[in-house]
Amino acid sequence: MQDFLELAVGAAASGCVYGLLALAYLLMIRPTGIINFAVGEWAMVAAFGGFLLLSKLEWPYPLGMAAVLGFMLLVGWATERIAVRPLVARGAPLIAPILALLGMLVIFREIVSISFPPDPHPVPYAFGIGRLDFGLLGGSYQSFFIIGVTLLVFAATWLFFERTLAGRMFEAVALHRRAAALMGINLFRVTALSFAGGAGAAGLAGLLVSPNISAHYQMGVPLAIQGFTALVIGGVGRVEGALLGGLLLAFAEQLTVRYAPIPSGFAQGVPLLFLMVFLLVRPTGLLKARA
Amino acid sequence: MRNSLLAVLLLFTAPVLAQETIKIGVITDRVGVSKPYSEPATEGIVFGAAEINRKGGILGRKVELLIEDDQSRPDISAALARKLIDQGAVFILSMSLTAATQQQQTVTMEAKMPQMTPMNSGDTLTTQLQNPYFWQTGPLGSIQIATLLAHARAKNLKQVALITDNSDLGQLLAKFFKAGLEKSGIKVVADEVVARGATTATPQMQKIRAANPDAMFMSGVLTAENVLIFKAYRELGLKIPIHSSYNLSVPVYMTVAKGLIDGVTFVDAYDPEKPEVKEFETAYKKATGKDSFNLHGYGYDGIMMVGEAIKRAGSTDKEKIRAAMQGLAYSGVMGAKGMTYSFPEGKRAGYDPNGMVVRIYEGDKQGRVVYVGQK
Repeated sequence: MQDFLELAVGAAASGCVYGLLALAYLLMIRPTGIINFAVGEWAMVAAFGGFLLLSKLEWPYPLGMAAVLGFMLLVGWATERIAVRPLVARGAPLIAPILALLGMLVIFREIVSISFPPDPHPVPYAFGIGRLDFGLLGGSYQSFFIIGVTLLVFAATWLFFERTLAGRMFEAVALHRRAAALMGINLFRVTALSFAGGAGAAGLAGLLVSPNISAHYQMGVPLAIQGFTALVIGGVGRVEGALLGGLLLAFAEQLTVRYAPIPSGFAQGVPLLFLMVFLLVRPTGLLKARA
Repeated sequence: MRNSLLAVLLLFTAPVLAQETIKIGVITDRVGVSKPYSEPATEGIVFGAAEINRKGGILGRKVELLIEDDQSRPDISAALARKLIDQGAVFILSMSLTAATQQQQTVTMEAKMPQMTPMNSGDTLTTQLQNPYFWQTGPLGSIQIATLLAHARAKNLKQVALITDNSDLGQLLAKFFKAGLEKSGIKVVADEVVARGATTATPQMQKIRAANPDAMFMSGVLTAENVLIFKAYRELGLKIPIHSSYNLSVPVYMTVAKGLIDGVTFVDAYDPEKPEVKEFETAYKKATGKDSFNLHGYGYDGIMMVGEAIKRAGSTDKEKIRAAMQGLAYSGVMGAKGMTYSFPEGKRAGYDPNGMVVRIYEGDKQGRVVYVGQK
């Protein structure tokens, strides 16, 4: 039982990271229909930001975290201005910005690969290395920190969409772009904000997970795949779907490794299996958008 | 008239001038998965070539390196080998992953082009293809496990856990580790894999904890995933001894796994107390202003051996170089004190089976040698 509870905390933390990445996809897909696979590279950029500010320059954690997140919002906004808006403004088909963003993925990775030595780089934990126990439930400080921050972000995002006028604008654009534009909603502003928000969510995921996996230039693609799988499981219709998808994926991965009577090498196939099953059986994901 | 004469003279002498250098091809990895290992090793080659040139070159000719990047991708590495042959390379040094080096052999074997890898450790490189133009001087995976086992034998291990990653090399080394352990009568009670890109190794380490092994062997080569293993080990409060492959000999662990590696033993091909190592480290620092470590030594020994073979061959004739290389005995930076690379009885894997050492992390520092060889 203790094993299971211990695993549950770790799996929940991993699920939260996947959930944040899925949220990054969702924030961009909902109003624009654009799938941006560069979210993994955004997470990597933020992880390197954490390495620079928190490890090298030894900034206080809250200040470094805020600076990295601010920078990521800027990166998202700039990505939209450079790779998306010119194509959308010229009436290019939807596939054009998706391909341009794949190009941005390579650019982000290569910039980091050229700018830093090839080894993984350490990023400090928010509260150091240590373990917190609540009865049988136990896990690292970082696991609890990841869970706490993620819940706050999802709660804030949910409130934004459900309770604010700006959030309603996003929903209106997601429902019908042309109608929203006719109602006076600035489509470009919504798109730019969705990319900034997406980069912020992806960057937060990268910053939170990097103390465990270190900052390295190849960390982006696996994170992008895990986030995308979480999104497919949870569905693109609702914010809470991203978190649900992330948690389900992480629990499935880790429970299979721990308890399934198969070699742990085979357990790596679980996310792929999940992705295929959901795409075939329930391509809309578990949670559908509200009518 | 005078200008025409000069032009004619240049026309005839230009090819001679162009042949002045001895071209040595290097296929490395600058952006792929092997970059953290290939880059420092290639820096060792560049430093070695500069040293050779500073001392007058080989056969009175300067060495020129033709460096290509195959990203550790087998699908492009063979094409790069062919490109280097077309550009006039007389020897190819392979510095990326084992699978890419293997693929290059299909070209070098056909073209009868001397090729060597100073750092790949896969045992199969010299056994799958009977390529008389290929040599391997990096310590084989089987030598690593034999050295680790010899060190662990004294500790009377009965049952152990094995953990690796899902990289090609990690899997290959795990296979050798497992075979070696079972051959020694040591039971592998847990055999775990941490996938590339995983965010935790807790489930794998829980399984290992439940299996109650006497020790844990690590054969993974992906730094980030190895650090995950150490973190889960620490978080779960495990106390069993950890014995690792040579991957832990890369200095990056001293920073990226700070506070997590005290007491971990690892196989290395580098003895910091060896006089040749001290001399190499001093010269490298003087020339480049940077500190060197074991990976630089692999590349340095590689280019030095190639230089020595060409010198002994007395020409750049590939057949003569092949014969000289096969008969070479060379003592360099890598290996235990007094170790010599050699290729007796037609063998093409030249690392002495007794040339590895076991070292221990003391705090966060790579510490002393605690065991030598496999006797």
